[in-house]
Amino acid sequence: MATSTIESIPRETVPKPRNYYTEPKFIDVEGLPTAYRRKGAGEPVVFLHGAGMTRMWLPFYEQLSKSVDLITPEHPGFGETPMPPWLRNFDDIVQHYHEFFRKLGLTKFHLAGFSLGGWMAAEYATFYPDSLASLTLLVPIGLRVKNPLPDIFQDGPDIALRLFNDLSKAVDVAPDDTMEEMTFGYGEAATLARLVWSPRYNIQLPRRLNRVTAPSLVLRAAHDRLVSDEIAIAYRHALPNSRDLVIPGTGHALIQEEPTLVAEAITRFVTEKHS
Amino acid sequence: MNALDFYYFNTIPYPYLPPVEEENISWVSLSNKYFDPKVGYKVYNDALMLSAAAERFGYDGTLVNEHHSTAWGIQPAPNLSAMHIVANTTHIPVGIIGNALPLMNNPIRVAEEIAMLDVVSGGRIISGFVVGTGMEYYSSPVSPAWARDRFWEAHDLIIKAWTQDGPFIWEGEQYHIPNVNPWPRPLQQPHPPIWIPGIGSKDTIRKVVEKGYHYMTVFSPQWLVQQMFDEYRALSEKMNKEFSRKQLSVAVMTYVAETDAQAHREAKAHISWLFKRGLRHPQFFHSPPGYQTKQAWAGTMSVRGKLPAQPDLTYEEMLRERYIIVGSPQTVAEILHEEYVGKLGVGGVICSGTWGPMPSWMALKGMQLMAEEVMPLFREADGKPDYMRKAPLVPSTVAERAAVFGKAKYPPTTHVDGLDDPILTAHAHVPEVIDPSQKAREPAIV
Repeated sequence: MATSTIESIPRETVPKPRNYYTEPKFIDVEGLPTAYRRKGAGEPVVFLHGAGMTRMWLPFYEQLSKSVDLITPEHPGFGETPMPPWLRNFDDIVQHYHEFFRKLGLTKFHLAGFSLGGWMAAEYATFYPDSLASLTLLVPIGLRVKNPLPDIFQDGPDIALRLFNDLSKAVDVAPDDTMEEMTFGYGEAATLARLVWSPRYNIQLPRRLNRVTAPSLVLRAAHDRLVSDEIAIAYRHALPNSRDLVIPGTGHALIQEEPTLVAEAITRFVTEKHS
Repeated sequence: MNALDFYYFNTIPYPYLPPVEEENISWVSLSNKYFDPKVGYKVYNDALMLSAAAERFGYDGTLVNEHHSTAWGIQPAPNLSAMHIVANTTHIPVGIIGNALPLMNNPIRVAEEIAMLDVVSGGRIISGFVVGTGMEYYSSPVSPAWARDRFWEAHDLIIKAWTQDGPFIWEGEQYHIPNVNPWPRPLQQPHPPIWIPGIGSKDTIRKVVEKGYHYMTVFSPQWLVQQMFDEYRALSEKMNKEFSRKQLSVAVMTYVAETDAQAHREAKAHISWLFKRGLRHPQFFHSPPGYQTKQAWAGTMSVRGKLPAQPDLTYEEMLRERYIIVGSPQTVAEILHEEYVGKLGVGGVICSGTWGPMPSWMALKGMQLMAEEVMPLFREADGKPDYMRKAPLVPSTVAERAAVFGKAKYPPTTHVDGLDDPILTAHAHVPEVIDPSQKAREPAIV
């Protein structure tokens, strides 16, 4: 079989957030320079970010990296990973990450994902269930439930108000008020619009999740005002080997609102499996 | 050729809304519970009556637009309006400044409907192609991230469907159609004129120039219109494209009354409704994520981002920046002559319409003054629109049709029970013909 070479997609300069920015590493994944950050030792845990808060080494990451080998890649079209022209849907994300993991030599690892990243992690798990030592979904989206998501595209500027219950926790990670950052945010939202404008769930996912036999943990916020708890509960029911946990005092942005509690919950879960 | 073409533009606003203090939006999320079909009956029929009346006044074309989920214009299916206007007129070109191609899951539907309109109207259709405003996408399953890709692929597909014999297979990135074979095909050859509206995207202007299409601007201050047309002309020269001023037009709402003061008295409230109520929506709706490239978005923000939001424009600003023209016939004619024919060098103004809740009697009065006191100044001595000087594409009487068209290539034939050979249906009711001893004969006339 002929191997095709894919023209390398050039990196562009992206604005750096005022807080928590760290220089990422890059790895070439079939022509796409993929940004990621890695720190810590122990069980390898890949964490897939949500639809924002990119380019930052968040306090939550720092906390989690104290007890695991944490790898936080940036999705195609998010953070410093450029938008590839071929990106159309979640299949592309799954294939991209499979190659990314292969390049990093990750054959059996813990996969976690937050919100949009939770959906991605669930998709990945259904295609490559044998790669996973465990699966952790934090306030994931991706399933159809009774109470749909609010129109995150329509409510754009107001979304932060529903993302955080404690707005003081949003201050550090709120986007800079510059044209450059706004343009960058428009680009990330465009990636999101490719993936989730319609539909905003995968109707095939519940059936496919039955294949995921790895131990799974579904983390819920105590009071999520953006994404209905029904989605997390539906994942809990669809995943054959799962349990769930509610993080007290949190809204949807639980990793920023209670970084220590969430990091501890994940650490406990991934280490217990291998101790 | 006339110096300037005058177009009527029907946007069908539905102004029977609660005040802004109660409902601060007119697009996407203003509940359709406020649409009363009994009131809608009047709104539609008044508006469509005016569209057809444009022919009698002597306008060069009568246009309709397309928007979705908004009281600003209750015309989501512009081809239906066009058919209504076609049925109530005989010669005037009818332009559809829809169809929003990316929103269609089967663009062949547009090829079919425009072709049908073109044939029924005797070749009078101007086919606009639009991306649709950002707002349309909020009530559509189509991601704005594919808007441009779908627009140009649908365009290519429709043009091919109109210009090449079907059936053929379409295997695109956005659309796959196993048999592209629309019946009917358009009457105008190779296809109806294409108009593309824009608000300044350089990518769009480049494509329009490349294809030699008509470019029209909407809702832009005059300095920005000037920039767009300069860009169009510069690109035309650079790309060695022949270019006529009749390929450029500007949508600029215009109202004429007896004197300047009287014109303002009559127009001000209705035009204010249009901007301050009809167009009320969050500015970021204009460009949902992916609707533009990042670079284009930044460009738009650096130009349009600095313009006041439409509801924030004062009446004075609307006049000064030439979003609108209001005045006596003399004032309006001077502005059109100096600024539009002269400075901008355009061939057409999309000038008249029902501006907001303006009653139809008032709109008719404005149209009549426009026709009697403004249009003739920009016309050849015969006062006719250019289209009246062209030979019609279809004969207007049966006898003329028989003389001009003669017979169809294939007269209808059929098998009937009891006969071995096919017979011509035209004579099938004549007993001699169905007598098996008689051979099928050519009819004298089909």
